[in-house]
Amino acid sequence: MKKIFYYLSLFAIIFTANSCFKIDDVAAPDKVLTGNVIDSTTGKPIQTEQGNGIRIKLDELSWSANPIPTYFGVKQDGTFSDTKIFAGRYRITPVDGPFVPLIQLSSTGDTISNRSKILNIKASTKVNFTVEPFLKVEWVSDPVVNPDSTVTVQIKFTRGTTNPAYQFNVTDAYLFVSENTYVGNNNYDGRYSVQVSYSGTAGNAQLGQPITIKSKKMPGNRTYYIRVGARTADNVQKRYNYTDIKPVSINLAK
Amino acid sequence: MKKIKYLLLVFCFSVLSCNKLDVPPMNIIKDQDVFNSVNGITAYMAKLYSSLPVEDFKYSANLGFNNWNFIANINMYSGEGVNKNISSLTNGNNGYWGAAFTLIRQADYFIETLPKYSANFSNNQTQINQWLGEAHFIRAYTYFALAKRYGGVPIIDKVQYYPEESVQQLQVPRNSEEEVYDYIGQDLDFAIQNMGGTSVQKGRANKYAAAALKSRAMLFAGSIAKYNSVQLFDQSGKRLQGIPSSKADTYFKASYDASMILQGHYSLYRAGLPDKYQNYVNLFSDDNSSENIFVKYYHYPDVVHSYDALMVPFQQTGPGYSSYCNPTLNYVELFDGLPKNADGTLKTKDANGKYILYQNRMDLFANAEPRLRATVIFPGDVFRGQVIDVLRGIYTGQVTNGISSLIPDGYTGTYPTTNLKTSSSNAQTPYTLPNGTTMNPAGLSGYFTGGGVCTRTGFFIRKYMNPNKAQADMALHHSDQPWIEMRYAEVLLNRAEADYELYSDGKTDIDYRQDAFNCINDIRDRAGAILLTDPTQLNINTIRIERKKELAFENKLWWDIKRWRVADTEINNKIYRVLNPFYAANAYAYFFDARFQESNATFTFNPLWYYEPIPAGELITNPNLIQNSGY
Repeated sequence: MKKIFYYLSLFAIIFTANSCFKIDDVAAPDKVLTGNVIDSTTGKPIQTEQGNGIRIKLDELSWSANPIPTYFGVKQDGTFSDTKIFAGRYRITPVDGPFVPLIQLSSTGDTISNRSKILNIKASTKVNFTVEPFLKVEWVSDPVVNPDSTVTVQIKFTRGTTNPAYQFNVTDAYLFVSENTYVGNNNYDGRYSVQVSYSGTAGNAQLGQPITIKSKKMPGNRTYYIRVGARTADNVQKRYNYTDIKPVSINLAK
Repeated sequence: MKKIKYLLLVFCFSVLSCNKLDVPPMNIIKDQDVFNSVNGITAYMAKLYSSLPVEDFKYSANLGFNNWNFIANINMYSGEGVNKNISSLTNGNNGYWGAAFTLIRQADYFIETLPKYSANFSNNQTQINQWLGEAHFIRAYTYFALAKRYGGVPIIDKVQYYPEESVQQLQVPRNSEEEVYDYIGQDLDFAIQNMGGTSVQKGRANKYAAAALKSRAMLFAGSIAKYNSVQLFDQSGKRLQGIPSSKADTYFKASYDASMILQGHYSLYRAGLPDKYQNYVNLFSDDNSSENIFVKYYHYPDVVHSYDALMVPFQQTGPGYSSYCNPTLNYVELFDGLPKNADGTLKTKDANGKYILYQNRMDLFANAEPRLRATVIFPGDVFRGQVIDVLRGIYTGQVTNGISSLIPDGYTGTYPTTNLKTSSSNAQTPYTLPNGTTMNPAGLSGYFTGGGVCTRTGFFIRKYMNPNKAQADMALHHSDQPWIEMRYAEVLLNRAEADYELYSDGKTDIDYRQDAFNCINDIRDRAGAILLTDPTQLNINTIRIERKKELAFENKLWWDIKRWRVADTEINNKIYRVLNPFYAANAYAYFFDARFQESNATFTFNPLWYYEPIPAGELITNPNLIQNSGY
């Protein structure tokens, strides 16, 4: 009698424990979303900064019309890639960047334009967005290394959009210097970088004009990475539009 | 048969006893117990006031309200000070939401229930109105704490009941930011009209506390309307984040009007004059100060905080902590009375780039503004009867041609080791000076190169510190100085700022600029600062800097730089500056090196953080809540 009881309990334990092996889980996300945020003025991916630059906002519409969004960052060269996405229906919007917002609202909240994209992601997907930057920032000539170990650059910035509602006053141009290739407002060395600030509408007069900025002295002998950013007022996220990155070598004659 | 009889008997007893057992539970306090006496009301109020979201000695960015550990206090976020634990910024969010709505419900309940029991107070309408005013003050205070964090939040103006109301009814969507500020304004108007000029008890609100809060909240709303550019709308077009800019002047005027209510009833504290330094020190400890409007009291050993223990200079450490607030040189440089370079930085070198020598460390600060000395302990100043000894190291090099800069301008690395004696900890090896006397290479309070507890900037905090505590009492949970949540200086600064905003928006019904000028000069006179000579010297920055000087280390400036929307410009890749005193062994004199913080801690404020994220758990409980943009 006792034996039977033991056997029964043993079976009970085996049966209950057995159910533990059935894992109540869904497969890990395995879809890949890649793409570019393209600068309409150049046709190439937009120059931005990594970490603090542009983010891709994902609203998964598979379950709710008003979901809690998730975000991931766009790389410094304007490309993005998220390799861990569940299959589903998504609204995809690049946000936070120095460009005319893809979803524009009036002051009373009406949608003026909406250029976000809704995609059914079933397999790995590539998607491109074209954005109008607030400013287009270009090198006028190559940076010049001066004998006193400073660097002189010449750049110009022009409006990147013809939409007057997004042509704000230009507030500053900034020559960013860093010791590594990730240079921008998120990562620069304040000892060598130089900011040129404009008050009021003074910066607008500089549109299209070549602007010369001279860095502070950089100790040699090594390579620095430089880049110029310019930005406008009333840009909610206060991001810079950038040139591409150029290395400069400081070789002190000893 | 007999059995059935017994059963019947038992049955009868049980049925009868059921009626008698239907009595109110003895362990629950009911409305008629609370609302039947003044003591009951006082007890209810005690709960409301103790839950009030006052950002005091127990508020920190990461741990929220009522936690002894306020090492990550928001003064360390706004650039006023640094400490060794904080090396980067966050959005300052600690999920304050559920506790707020609990408190709002308790205030709503009080407002709904008290009038039903007015007969218990012989219908004394003055007394009842005073209490109702307090409940409105508490509700407004709580809504302001929410609005400044999240923008628009749901307005719950009556008690909700479950299960009488369905879950859907309880899931209230957010109101617009503008509606929330208007609601705060209404509640405070009620409080101002219905309360008398004196509080029922110390630490409770009165008419003027409500007016002071209104001047603060409306100024905040005006700033959002004027400077914010974030927009978020719900489906019905309600603006959850941001206020239309056309409303700015309405709010500034409301703030101005509210501050004028206090005019003549409060004044800046001047009882400790003629010594302006001592007067400013006493301001924070004199319980009879004419400046105190709303104060949160503590009492050892029942209700305590740990301010002294956390902030005391290292050499006076009690059992445990110290040195958790080191004012930055950037903050000190805001003040008058210090030698300055052309760019406004502290002058520590002469025209030839050689360090200026001082016989005593305090000589550099001989003419410093009294308010600064009462806010910050300088290296070499006296606190609790001791010289607060801060020394970065001993310079052993030659001094005949002056001492050249130890490091290049803007350098963020460590000092070279040649000609310098330093100490890695407070266990020191004395250095023998040329005249044979010995001296420790680091001060008793630092700086120690080993990264331990000491000052990081050369300074310690003086404001609010209790100078009369024994060293053994510099321990956690041993402090009980009151927190002055609202004082008249803030009201004057609110008024000056509202004045100037109205003036610059072209309002001329009152001479606003002259009024701002009078307010600022009143504050400067009490502080011992240089007075303005003419209203034309004013601009918005003079008023803002005056606010920073006066209200620093009072958990206010973080919110100020946020509402002015300047935090992302002020704190962008920011390394704070420090002041290191050295002793030149061959000159028998001190010199100072002003430089970037050696830890190289870099701070950046992300513009996203002007609003905080609504806690994720709340979004799940209430699907009608819309998360703030960017989160």
